This record gives sequence, structure tokens and C-alpha cells, in this order.
Amino acid sequence: MDNVKLLIDGKSIKVRGGTTILEAAAAHGITIPTLCHIKNQLPTGICRVCVVEVEGSRTLVGSCHTPVSQGMVVHTRSPKVIAARRVIVELMLTAHTGDCVNDTNAENCVLHNLASDYEVGAPRFNVRTPRFYPAEEANPYIIRNLSKCILCRKCVRSCADIAHKNVLSIGYRGFRSKVVTGYDEALTTEACRDCGICLEHCPTGALSAAPGFKALKGGAVR
Amino acid sequence: MSAAGKGTPSAAANRKELLSALKEEFGKNGSLSKTVMTSLAEKTGLPLNEIYSVSTFYSYLPVATAGKNIIRICGCLPCDMKDARGVVGSIKKELGIEPGQTTADGRFSVEQVGCIGACDQAPAMMINDRLYGNLTPAGIAEILKSY
Repeated sequence: MDNVKLLIDGKSIKVRGGTTILEAAAAHGITIPTLCHIKNQLPTGICRVCVVEVEGSRTLVGSCHTPVSQGMVVHTRSPKVIAARRVIVELMLTAHTGDCVNDTNAENCVLHNLASDYEVGAPRFNVRTPRFYPAEEANPYIIRNLSKCILCRKCVRSCADIAHKNVLSIGYRGFRSKVVTGYDEALTTEACRDCGICLEHCPTGALSAAPGFKALKGGAVR
Repeated sequence: MSAAGKGTPSAAANRKELLSALKEEFGKNGSLSKTVMTSLAEKTGLPLNEIYSVSTFYSYLPVATAGKNIIRICGCLPCDMKDARGVVGSIKKELGIEPGQTTADGRFSVEQVGCIGACDQAPAMMINDRLYGNLTPAGIAEILKSY
């Protein structure tokens, strides 16, 4: 029942009503970058990297949470979109303390790759106090480096909605926001077992498998 | 910590009541220590991290061990323009602590908070539940003496 016709980047596409722009584009080989999107989970639309231009819309819209509509004309790579994405990535880099230069896992960091794809240089914005948290190795399976966290909440959501463990939450507010466990404690094995589902979802190097372990597809850490 | 609290109906109902429960616990204990929150987690079936998350979002539910009297100074623009910084400086001189700290004797905690809705009396602060407006750096010592 592909009954909604729309135009994405000049390509005529027919999809089922209720599909999001992101899904419609992906089904037809058009890639839109995302950071906070988890496939088959409710979209939150908080990272804004997936914004696209919809003709007739006053603002850019998040493609991960905007459903398609009849006759929609979408541009996923217009100059306006590229300019917006560039600033969005730049803002995230600003709050993301620490250099990719010394990070041997930078190639796995979606933010790092986006920054290089979109030619985002060193961020222009100044911050009053850098968001810095020491790396945590309290857990034998997971290394947590919250300085690299971009607060996309994918770990929080995957822990609650996929693993059904509810170990992580966002604490504090505004610039001080941070992913917390328990009473803002270290992520020990007492609070978190080794399901590793969050590892698979973290788009940056904030959560990584400890050396000797690797995150497998499907979540388990071995 | 109880896992999977999200799914059970009682946890969902308790989530609705969480804010008032936190307020009540704070009124009873004067602070929201780990012990207080852990027992609340057990009672409600909600994970501790979620309770901590809600409580740290609100400046009126201080998590850290708070002093007997909590001074909340408005840090928003109107108060700042009317020399709230001078007031903070004066408090620092009187008590020797900065916002976010508690005096050694536990008599006062100072916190910088968002707008407290008293812009007409800027700069303003609250000590516990009482509002003090039109502050001057010179008048701080007098106010603090009464606590």
C-alpha cells in the first residue's frame, strides 16, 4: 500500500503513509546523516543533524520524526541544509571536549566523520567552562568517557527500551546535563551488567568496549 | 536497584507522583541524600538514576548535603543588571563561600538559581521560603544575622 507520492532530491518516490522522510529516503538509497536516531524505536529528534528542507515549510524539519505527506518536495542536500548541519555539528564539537587527534577510535565516531564530511573546522564558539569528565574504568567491560558525550540519549533509550534495564538517565540540566547512573556514581558492574547494548548505539567514543572485549552486533560483549 | 521499573503499572503511577514525593522527602529530611533516594526508589519501584535525574533537574530539590538555611540568589539578567554579582560578593565576604558551597558549620548553603519571579524587586534572593528583594551588598550582613 504505497500510496503517498513525494519528491526527494528530484527523485519521485512512493511510500506508505506514516513513513518518516528519513525512512522513505533510506528505502530509495538516499542517505541522511543521523546521530540520535535508533532504527525501529520512537524518534526523539534531538540531535537535529537529520534536518532537511521541505518546500513550503517555514523551517527545516527533522527528517527522523516528520512523516511524509502527499506531494511533499524534499531537499536533503540543499545549501540551506548543508549550512545548518555544519553549524549543528560545530556546536556539538564545541561541547565535546577532547581532541580526536589522540583518539585511536576516531574512525568509529559518527560525529568525527560528520565533521570531516561537512568540512567543519575547529569550532568557533567559546565555552565558559569546558565540559570535562575524567574517563571511567570502573567497569571491566565498558570505558566511559563522558567528555566525548554529545547527550544524544541513545544509551539512555537503548538501556530502557531495548535492554529494559533503566540504568542510565540524564541528570542535571542545561550545560551541566550528563548521563548518570544511580546517585551519579561510577558505572560499576553492580549497576550495569555486561549486555553492552548501549555500546553499540553510542555514536561517539563516550562509551566503548574495554580492551580485550568487543561489542558484538546484537549487544553482547565478549 | 529494581530493573525494568518502566513497565509495571505501579511504577508508572508512582512516576506521576515522583515530584511531590521528592518534595515531601526533602521537607522531612532537609536534604536528598543517597539513603533517602534509595528508600524512595524501593518504595516506588523506580530506578534510583531516574529519581536522581528528576531531582537534579530542579534547583529546589538540592541533592548534595545542604546547610540548615539555603540561600538562593537569582542569576538571571534583570538581577544581574541590578548588581546581583555585588550581592554574591558580599555573601562571599560574610560567609566565605561561593555559590554551590555550604559553610563549615552547616548553617548556610548558597546557590545560584534561575529566575525566582521577583524581577520587580531585583536583585532578589530567597532564604528558605522567604523572599528578600531590592538587595544591596551592604545590607546582606544584617539579613544573614537573623538566621
